[in-house]
Amino acid sequence: MANRVRWAFLIVALGMLVVGAYLALAWAPPDREMGDVQRIMYVHVPQLWMALLAMTLNFACSVIYLVRNSWKTDSLAEASAEVGVVFGAVGIALGSIWGRPTWGVWWAWDPRLTTAAILLVAYCGYLALRRFVDDPERRAVWSAVTAIVAYVDVPLIWYSVQWWRSLHQVQSSPRTVDPQMVLVLRWQSFAFLSLMVFYVWTRYLIAMATRRRELAMPAELSAPAPMQTSEVAR
Amino acid sequence: MTWMHCLGALVQSASASQAVGAGRIVGGWEYVWAAYGITWAAIVVYTTSLIMRLRSAQESEDPR
Repeated sequence: MANRVRWAFLIVALGMLVVGAYLALAWAPPDREMGDVQRIMYVHVPQLWMALLAMTLNFACSVIYLVRNSWKTDSLAEASAEVGVVFGAVGIALGSIWGRPTWGVWWAWDPRLTTAAILLVAYCGYLALRRFVDDPERRAVWSAVTAIVAYVDVPLIWYSVQWWRSLHQVQSSPRTVDPQMVLVLRWQSFAFLSLMVFYVWTRYLIAMATRRRELAMPAELSAPAPMQTSEVAR
Repeated sequence: MTWMHCLGALVQSASASQAVGAGRIVGGWEYVWAAYGITWAAIVVYTTSLIMRLRSAQESEDPR
């Protein structure tokens, strides 16, 4: 049953993204200043929102792990960090593509772009740390602490456009944007949210399978016994 | 102001109003297609990668 629900999230996401592509590319009006180039917003903004959401989940799981020491929260932290990096990397790449026709450059060291780049580097470091440490217990603690430190950058990203007015525009309000544009942006956000749930869930199952294998390793070495899955549920 | 100036001003205002409807940046569809292409490519690649990694992890847990 749970497996069907997980797949349903993917099917709903893909269906919504197909409809969303039509709405974004043909139905929504062009922007008064940026023309059709503004249509990049419908894939750029939702993906970066999902990246920030995934990293917030990673932060929450890291804090909970340090308090309760559960392999489930450690696996969920690992899953959300990877998904956050994927959405963040694609979102930043799309921002760069949008920047070329509107700002005239692919990249600028604007506060919003710089803090976003720092976030991506920090979470790539987090994922690298998880690969380099073999001991699951030590890896979980170290990566939880790293995640909490890296998360400091998330509010900086959000408020950077308000604190240091620079090249990147401030957050738009639905009151000042065409209702058709708001509708398409919300549609795409729910589509990417559904996709993110599928991604985090699937990646969590991979992480849990890896934990079970790691924790069962000494028993495997001594005798070809079945895996001790009960250890994982602590 | 001569009639030539008036005509010039009329043509200018007409073209300006058209530019507002289409946006000040004209064209740029190649950037839009690139952005949507990268998005869909990333979705296909990462979804496939996750499905294959999960299958591999489950097979190594239960190698029957």
